[in-house]
Amino acid sequence: MTVSKDKVVVSIRDLHKYFGSLEVLKGIDLDVMRGEVVVILGPSGSGKSTLLRCVNLLEKPTKGEIWFEDNLITDPKSNVNKTREHIGMVFQSFNLFPHLTAKRNIMLAQRKVLKRSKEEAERIAIQQLEKVGLSDKIEYLPAQLSGGQQQRVAIARALAMDPHVMLFDEATSALDPELVRGVLDVMRELALGGMTMMVVTHEMGFAREVADRVVFMDEGVIVEQGTPAEVFDNPQSPRTQDFLGHIT
Amino acid sequence: MTYVRVAVFSLLFVLLLGSLLIAFPQSAEALETESVTATRNEDGGTDIIGGKPTRLSWEGRVGNNEKVMQIVINFPEGCELADDAYLFLQEVIMDDPMHPRPDNAVKHEYELTQESLIINFTDGLRPGNKVIIQVYGFQFPAITADYYITGTYVDDKGLSHILKEYSRPVSVIGGTALENFLVWLSERDWVKAWNSNAFCNSFLNPVRAVASVPTLFGGWLISVALVALGFPLAIPVGLGISFLRMSKLWILRFLSSIYVNVIRGTPLFLQIYIAFLGLPLFISGMDNFTTGFIVLALNSSAYLAEIFRAGIQSIHKGQFEAASSLGMNGIKTMFFVIIPQTVRRVIPTMTSEFILLFKDTSLLAAVGVFEMMMFAKIQSNISANITPYVVAAGFYLLVTLPLTRVISVFEKKLAATDGKEAPPEDKKKKKPETKRVGLFKTTVPAAVNQDTGNG
Repeated sequence: MTVSKDKVVVSIRDLHKYFGSLEVLKGIDLDVMRGEVVVILGPSGSGKSTLLRCVNLLEKPTKGEIWFEDNLITDPKSNVNKTREHIGMVFQSFNLFPHLTAKRNIMLAQRKVLKRSKEEAERIAIQQLEKVGLSDKIEYLPAQLSGGQQQRVAIARALAMDPHVMLFDEATSALDPELVRGVLDVMRELALGGMTMMVVTHEMGFAREVADRVVFMDEGVIVEQGTPAEVFDNPQSPRTQDFLGHIT
Repeated sequence: MTYVRVAVFSLLFVLLLGSLLIAFPQSAEALETESVTATRNEDGGTDIIGGKPTRLSWEGRVGNNEKVMQIVINFPEGCELADDAYLFLQEVIMDDPMHPRPDNAVKHEYELTQESLIINFTDGLRPGNKVIIQVYGFQFPAITADYYITGTYVDDKGLSHILKEYSRPVSVIGGTALENFLVWLSERDWVKAWNSNAFCNSFLNPVRAVASVPTLFGGWLISVALVALGFPLAIPVGLGISFLRMSKLWILRFLSSIYVNVIRGTPLFLQIYIAFLGLPLFISGMDNFTTGFIVLALNSSAYLAEIFRAGIQSIHKGQFEAASSLGMNGIKTMFFVIIPQTVRRVIPTMTSEFILLFKDTSLLAAVGVFEMMMFAKIQSNISANITPYVVAAGFYLLVTLPLTRVISVFEKKLAATDGKEAPPEDKKKKKPETKRVGLFKTTVPAAVNQDTGNG
């Protein structure tokens, strides 16, 4: 990428997470540079979603540090809501607000959190919907949209907050195969535009094409990481080889 | 002989005197009735209705050569007096006919009964004066007829005279239009045939049914007012309690759960007794109606609290996460994301609760709140007939049936905005069910799974 990568946006140090007595993350260290697209791969239950959800504190880390830009966000004194304003997240289940139209879904947090004026919020909402190719669905309710369209509205909603990093938690897993492409296209555009992204996905093609770095996780640890070429074409760990062997 | 002669002459004298009395115009010689009237008492009309209090006025003029010591007015048969009936008496002094002087302080004693009015004047009514006698709270029989008021009076010589009838009678209408209609209805052949069956007569006597409608309608309005004041009061209280139930502080959760469980775990009937016997000890000046709707509100708030809690908790976790991930705090999330969705979901269940509460207003009859059930009971007792209860049932349905319809409309709307028109066999399951299971009125919220998939 042409964007400078010398600045670390997210820095994770020795991150542990327990669910009860089950240790899901067993000491993760990971740095994400500005403009970098990090794709996290791994079998189900490897802890990749939990890792992502720790970054915006939807899951509270049990131990370890997470730095977002210059803030230690695992510090209990840090303002969680302030941090989350700058971290966009896209969920597997879209989680659009069903009682609001596409436009109002995107306007709500702009108005209530960023305190933007109604006019500005509306302008940005329409602009973001155009970006994700839904300028004709502005006044539609989520229920009137297909899964792929809903997910693109969800991406637009996150982008409207001007995030410094975007987290994608299996954004295409709940979609019918024919709807996946539209969402991946939006994500690809975003990556090309220089957005810092952490992506949990099973889309190997997307990972190979778009990722700056691929991280392979298994059983709560990072097993292997590198460029797509390194990880896909020449995996070092037997677990990575095994996983890729099953996928492709 | 002389004795006989004296006796004969005396007799002749008396006869002569008597014939003279008859020959002379009575206006001058004896108390004469000048008018007998009654005040019109028809609602919005001009007629005098029988069976309903009116004011009977009798006016007369004392003869020129007598004093009147006692007047007795006989009422027609079947007349009645209201509980608060009373007498107004006025002597109009006619010393100067151009300037009559009313005197309201005539010394007298009287006895007023359904049959007659007897007035004894301590000093007598003086010759030539007018007298006005008015009986308030007087009821003519509920039969259409012309009534003549008769009577007698006693003069200062102790002689009793008959009061001459007044030429114009008081015309009374048998009853209101409704009463007339009831009479007409009772004479229909089909009504007679219907009522000849003991079962039909007991449960749905057409005459009794129509007769009970006006009273029951009044009671129905009270019942509606009770729930119309009680339910809106229950909503904010219930919402507050539902928040306490989900509070992070265990003590708030604990106290609110006691409130909810005690109220839901005891009969409303019992709560009504406790409130009606207990509240007056501490709060004075609370009338039955106020106490009534407050008890209903408190009772309903516990059920609503659980409805709201279930509604809020039925919102998918993803909604909270999405709002959080956008930087919204708990209050903003609640206010702009969760509550708007909850309201739409709980409206059908809330409507069910409203229906239940409306029906429960009937329990207040037990402590003397004059709502529909109370009136139905009174009507039934008077007529020894079950019909008023059946009519009351109709009045309850007047509210509950349309609301049941409203519920299903809301549900269809809800399903439509969720984008998932439920398949026919699914619709039954989605209907909010409010049923009493054991001690509890359990409320199952409508449409719980709304979100697509989960994360």
